[in-house]
Amino acid sequence: MSSSNTQQSGLDARATDSKVRLLGVVAWLSVAVALGMMFFVARVDDFNGPVQKIFYVHVPSAWLAYLSFAIVFVSSIAYLRTESRRWDLLAHSAAEIGVVFTSLVLITGPIWARPIWGTWWQWDARLTSTLVLWLVYVGYLLLRGLSTDPSRTGRLAAVVGIIGFINVPIVHYSVNWWRTLHPVGPTVADPVNNSGFEAPELATFFVALAAFTLLFAWLLAIRVRLGRLADDVDARALVVEGLRDPGPAARRSPSPAGSET
Amino acid sequence: MSTTAWMVVAFLAVGVGIGSYLLSITARRRVLNRRLEELEGRSPHS
Repeated sequence: MSSSNTQQSGLDARATDSKVRLLGVVAWLSVAVALGMMFFVARVDDFNGPVQKIFYVHVPSAWLAYLSFAIVFVSSIAYLRTESRRWDLLAHSAAEIGVVFTSLVLITGPIWARPIWGTWWQWDARLTSTLVLWLVYVGYLLLRGLSTDPSRTGRLAAVVGIIGFINVPIVHYSVNWWRTLHPVGPTVADPVNNSGFEAPELATFFVALAAFTLLFAWLLAIRVRLGRLADDVDARALVVEGLRDPGPAARRSPSPAGSET
Repeated sequence: MSTTAWMVVAFLAVGVGIGSYLLSITARRRVLNRRLEELEGRSPHS
C-alpha cells in the first residue's frame, strides 16, 4: 500500500470520527429537548396521572426494537447473499441494540402497569410476544458469543435473524388480533388513535421518537466501530501468530476507535 | 408509591439501561485497544 493511500485512509477514519461525534452531540441534545418537552410541554394525563409520561420513553423504545430487528433481518439476508463481513457486523450490532431497547420496553411497561393495572405482568398477547421477541434475540446473541467458527456462526445467526423477525409483526398486531389488556393505541403508526392526544402531547411524542432514533443511529455507529476494532485485533493476532500475511488492512494502524463516547 | 414516583423510576431505568450499555461499549473498546497495543508491540511489522 502506498503512503498516499495510507494517509487517505487515515483522513477517512478521522472524517468518520468527526461525523460520529457530531451525530452523538445532535442525538444527546435532542434527547435533552425531548426530556424537557416530556416534563414541561406535555400535560399530565387527567385519568392516569404523571405515570402516563412513561409512554414517551416506552413507545420510542418499542419502535427502536422493531427498527433494530428490521435491520438485523435485512442485513442477515444481505449477508447470506454476499457473505460480506460488513452485513454480518451490522446485523450483530443492531441485534445487540435491539435487545437493549426491548429490555427497556419490558422494564418500563411493568413499571407503568403496576400502578395502572395493579399488577406487574399479565400473560397477554402483547406482553408475551414481546418477551418471546426478547428471548429470540438474546438467543441470537448467545449463539454468536458461544460459537468459535465465525463463518458458520455468521450464517447460523443470519438464519435466526431472519426467522426471528417473524415475531415483530406478531408483537405489533397482537393487540388487534387478540383481546389483550395492553392498550390498543396509540402506536407509532397511529399516535392519535385512542390517545386523547392534543398538539403538545403529539409534538412531545414525535420529538421523543426522533431523539430516540438519532440516539439509536449513534449507538449503532459506535457499536459497528467496536466490531471493526475487534476484527482489526483478530487480524493482527493472526499476523503475530504467523498464521496470515498481514495485508493492507492489518498493516495500517487503526485509528483510536470511538473517542466520542 | 405515587404515580409520580413510578414515572421517575421508569425514567431512571431507561437512563441506567442506556448508560450501562454505553459503559459496556467503552469497557470492551478499552480491552480491545489494550490488546491491539500489545499485538503491535509483538508485530514483525512494528
